[in-house]
Formats: sequence, C-alpha cells, structure tokens
Amino acid sequence: MKRYWFTTFLVFLGAIMLLFLTLPLFKMMIGNDPATLLKTLKEADVSSSIWLTMKVSLFATLFALVTGLPLAYLIARHEFIGRSFLETLVDIPIMIPHTAAGIALLVAFGHGSLGSFFDLFGLKFIGTEAGIMIAMMFLSATFLINGAKEGFKKVDVKLEKVARTLGASPLKVFLAISLPNAKKDIVNGCLMMWGRGLGEFGAVVILVYHPMTAPVLIYDRFTSFGLSYSAPVAAVMIILSIMVFLTVRFVNNKLR
Amino acid sequence: MSFLSLQALTCDVGAFHLHDISFDVGEGEYFVILGHSGAGKTVILESIAGLHGIGGKLLFNGVDITNMAPEERSVGFVYQDFALFPNLSVRENIRFAGRYKFIEDADSLFNDLVDFLGLEKLLDRRIDNLSGGEKQRIAIARALFSRPKILLLDEPLSAIDPTFRNAIMKFLKEMHRRYHLTTLHVTHNFREASYLADRIAIVMDGKVQQVGCANEVLSHPSSLKVAEFLGFKNIFSSSLLGEDSAQLFSIDPNAILVSKENNPKCDYCFEGKLDECMGIVDHFKLFVTIGKEQFFVKVLKREHEGCAINRGETIYIGFNKKDVCYL
Repeated sequence: MKRYWFTTFLVFLGAIMLLFLTLPLFKMMIGNDPATLLKTLKEADVSSSIWLTMKVSLFATLFALVTGLPLAYLIARHEFIGRSFLETLVDIPIMIPHTAAGIALLVAFGHGSLGSFFDLFGLKFIGTEAGIMIAMMFLSATFLINGAKEGFKKVDVKLEKVARTLGASPLKVFLAISLPNAKKDIVNGCLMMWGRGLGEFGAVVILVYHPMTAPVLIYDRFTSFGLSYSAPVAAVMIILSIMVFLTVRFVNNKLR
Repeated sequence: MSFLSLQALTCDVGAFHLHDISFDVGEGEYFVILGHSGAGKTVILESIAGLHGIGGKLLFNGVDITNMAPEERSVGFVYQDFALFPNLSVRENIRFAGRYKFIEDADSLFNDLVDFLGLEKLLDRRIDNLSGGEKQRIAIARALFSRPKILLLDEPLSAIDPTFRNAIMKFLKEMHRRYHLTTLHVTHNFREASYLADRIAIVMDGKVQQVGCANEVLSHPSSLKVAEFLGFKNIFSSSLLGEDSAQLFSIDPNAILVSKENNPKCDYCFEGKLDECMGIVDHFKLFVTIGKEQFFVKVLKREHEGCAINRGETIYIGFNKKDVCYL
C-alpha cells in the first residue's frame, strides 16, 4: 500500500471532483420518474424549445465551421505579426460575462447601423432564431476554433509539403491531407461548441426571450411555477444532450 | 547545359539563412549534399522543391523555375521520417500523385514499383505499425509513382536500423539506375556519401564550401573546415615538412609508419615522444608529440608487436610525400 500512496491520493482527490461534476446530473435524472419525463417531452412548448435549441446550436456550429476553420488553419500554420493578439481575440468571448456579451450583441446587431444593414436582407436579430444563433456562436465558437487549431498543429507540415510535390494544389492539400488528419480534433471542437451552445442562457435571454430556447424555458418555468415544474424539463434536456454528445464522441473515436 | 542549376540561391527560414548556394547537377547524376545537422541541407532540398520563397535563380533544363509552384515542378521528395499520409492506406499513399496529375502508364509503373520494392503484402494496410524500412520503401514508391524528373532524398538512412544501412545504400543505387533518376541525396554521413555519390557538395552554415567529384572532394578538401568535417586527422602547417609556406597539410593516421629504434625509411621522418597508446579491437591508437604538435597514428595489431614503448619514451614516425594531402 505504501508503494501506491501517491496514486491512491490522486484517485481520492479525483473522485471528489468527479462526484461533484456528476452528482447533480445523476440526481436530476433519477429524481424524475420516466413517466413524468415522457409526459414533459410530449408537451409542445418543451419539445419545440429543445428542438429549437439543438437546431440553432447546430446551425451556429456549421456557420462557425465554415468561417472558423480557415481562421484556425491560418493561426496554426502561419507565423505573422499579431498572431498572439488574434488568438487572444478568439479567446475573449469565453472570458466575459454572458449577459455582458448579450448586451454587446444587442448594441452591435440591434438597432445600429449593422442591424440596419442586415435588415436590408430581412435579417433581424431581436426575437428571432438568427438572434439565438449569433448569441450561441459568439460565446462558443472559441471552442471550435481552438479545437481545430490544435488539430491542425498536430498535422505534420511535412505531410502537406510532400502532397504539394506530388501535384496537389494548396486547396487540395487542405482537403485531402490537413482536414482528414485533423478531423478528430475538429469534430471534438464542433461537439464542444454545439454542447456549449445548448446551454447558452445569458446572452440569448437578452436578445431573444421568445421563441424560447430550452435554458430560457427552464428559467421561465422556474421563476413562474417553481422547481417541480422546471426540473423535468431540465432533466429531459440533460438526458438528450448527453445522448447526442456520447453518440458523436463514440463515432468520432471510431474514426481513423 | 546542366539538368538542374542553382545560381546564387538564397533563402530565409526563421533565423536560418542560405547564402548564395550555387551548383549544377547533371542528368542521371547521383548528387549528395553533405553537411552537419542544421547546415541547411534540407532547406536546399525544400527550396528546389519550391516549398520556400527563394532569391537567386533555379534553372531546370535551362528553364527558370524559381517561382514555379511545387505541384508543377515534377520533383519527388522523401523526408527523413518519410511523412506518409496517416489517413490513407499504403496503396493510396503510393498512388496519391495519380489523383492530381496524369501519370503515364500508371498501372504498370505501380505494379513495377510494388514488385521492385516488395510492397505487395502491405498494400491494403494502414501506415501505423509499419517498420522504418517498410515506411521508407513506401515513401520512395510514392515519390517515384509521380514520375519525378528529380528525386530529393532527405537523410533517407537516418531513421533506419544501422544493420540494414549497407543493404539500403545498395538498393538506392540500384533504384537510381533502374528508374534513370537524377537524385539529390542529403546526408551528414560522409561514408554514405562516398558510397553513393557521383558528385558532392559540402554545405556548412548555409553556405556551399566545396563542390566536385566524390573522390576529389573526399580526398582533397579545399579548406581546414571541410577537412575537419570529413574527419581528416593530423592537420599541420607545411613548415613542419621543411617547406616555406603557410599551407596546411594532412596525413592519414594509417599512412604513418612507426619504429621504436630508428627512423623508418620514409620521405619525412620525425623523432618524438609517445604520449599514449590505446589498444582498440584490431589496432593501436598512438599519440606522438613532435615538437609542439601531436600526431595521431593507427597501427594494425597484426603488423605490430604492440606498445612495447612506455609513455614518455622516444619513438620514430615517418610518412611519404604521396600520402600528404595539402589543404
């Protein structure tokens, strides 16, 4: 036993943290009987808010994938003046309070010139799904960009160089070598962003109270009707999120 | 007209600079770039492949390819760690170039390479868990499948078990002939260079120090720096030979004769003191002080009775004019 005291000590401390992270979720799941959960899921406003949350978070992730991947690749592959500053800019949204982020988005995309510009294309951000999407994206795109950046850094630059000598253009090298070899980290980054987007409340509630995302619905029910009415919705949301999360992560781990 | 001509090529990679690299490579030549680690050998290869922005001129068959994109240059590149694509199978790795450009007689070339390099059993495997030798053969096959005009090999033997190096050197030479290649091979190992090279360029600190036929460069280094790099021993001023010159000379430790009693019959003879005698497997290493200089002498055990002389005692050494190499 003396030989393993340090490992035992680590396991003990780690177990405390693990318990802290899982106990509330576990209690939430077993604290509601399956019949109640099923009934809750069948309620129109619950199912539509969960569907809305998952769908919009997915759209935000897809948009960030298209625009964030090139940024991640640039940062990972090129040395340039201001690279550290750029990395800090990408990290800033996760450091600021979410309600403050909501206010900032409201100021930028609300009724100002940017808001008017998007209005020309019929795109409004207050009280719309687009508003939910920008709130989610602002606070969670960092996870995708940083995940992809680390993934690209792990791809040996020599692979890309050899591919160029074998006749592939830079775009083809990116598609055939860089992207496939960084895909695990990219998918993990997407998953982190999507998952983070599901839980976004502070910024969303400032831009869009209706239509309600699941976190806003849970808050609304909690403040209006109390714990017993909001807890099943929270439990359903947690169960569904974990199921999607585990499925994607399992599939991702199976990827070569 | 040379096949490939580097004319005052310069390149900056981070803090490293290549300075006015100039040499020509003939068609069908096996050209070795020899130098220490960090001398700039790989940067030269990458510059030829178009992977760095360069100054100066790079001509291929008289055509300026200085600013040509890497994918248009028709070079095959084999890196030290082979850089195989982990997301592709062995077969897909080898046929990679076929996705992006037309390969003449692709199938017969593929079959020939697989046959010549003994890759048949590996074709459907992933590249994880392959041995260094297998990875090397796949990387070479991948480069050759693109039908390169020039094959660039970056330290191809350094990741290979030393036991197999001789066999692989033989194989590289055979491959060079079989596919009528023009090969540029980078190494820090001058034994490897002496076996493979038709011509050699010695590169140090981002500069070419000497270029020429392999025998000429390896036996007649143009400077002290090159001589030391090539492992030349006993480098002294020729005034020691009674010549009125500041020129340096070197004498091979194996070409020095020793005698305990009197001067050996040689063009140059010296009396000195034995500093040390070390018995190594099949020979003795003798360190003999002559005036202010210390000579290093190698004597085969079968040709000598052993170190009968004690340290500090008088010893005679000698060598002939034909063995003296002036730097």
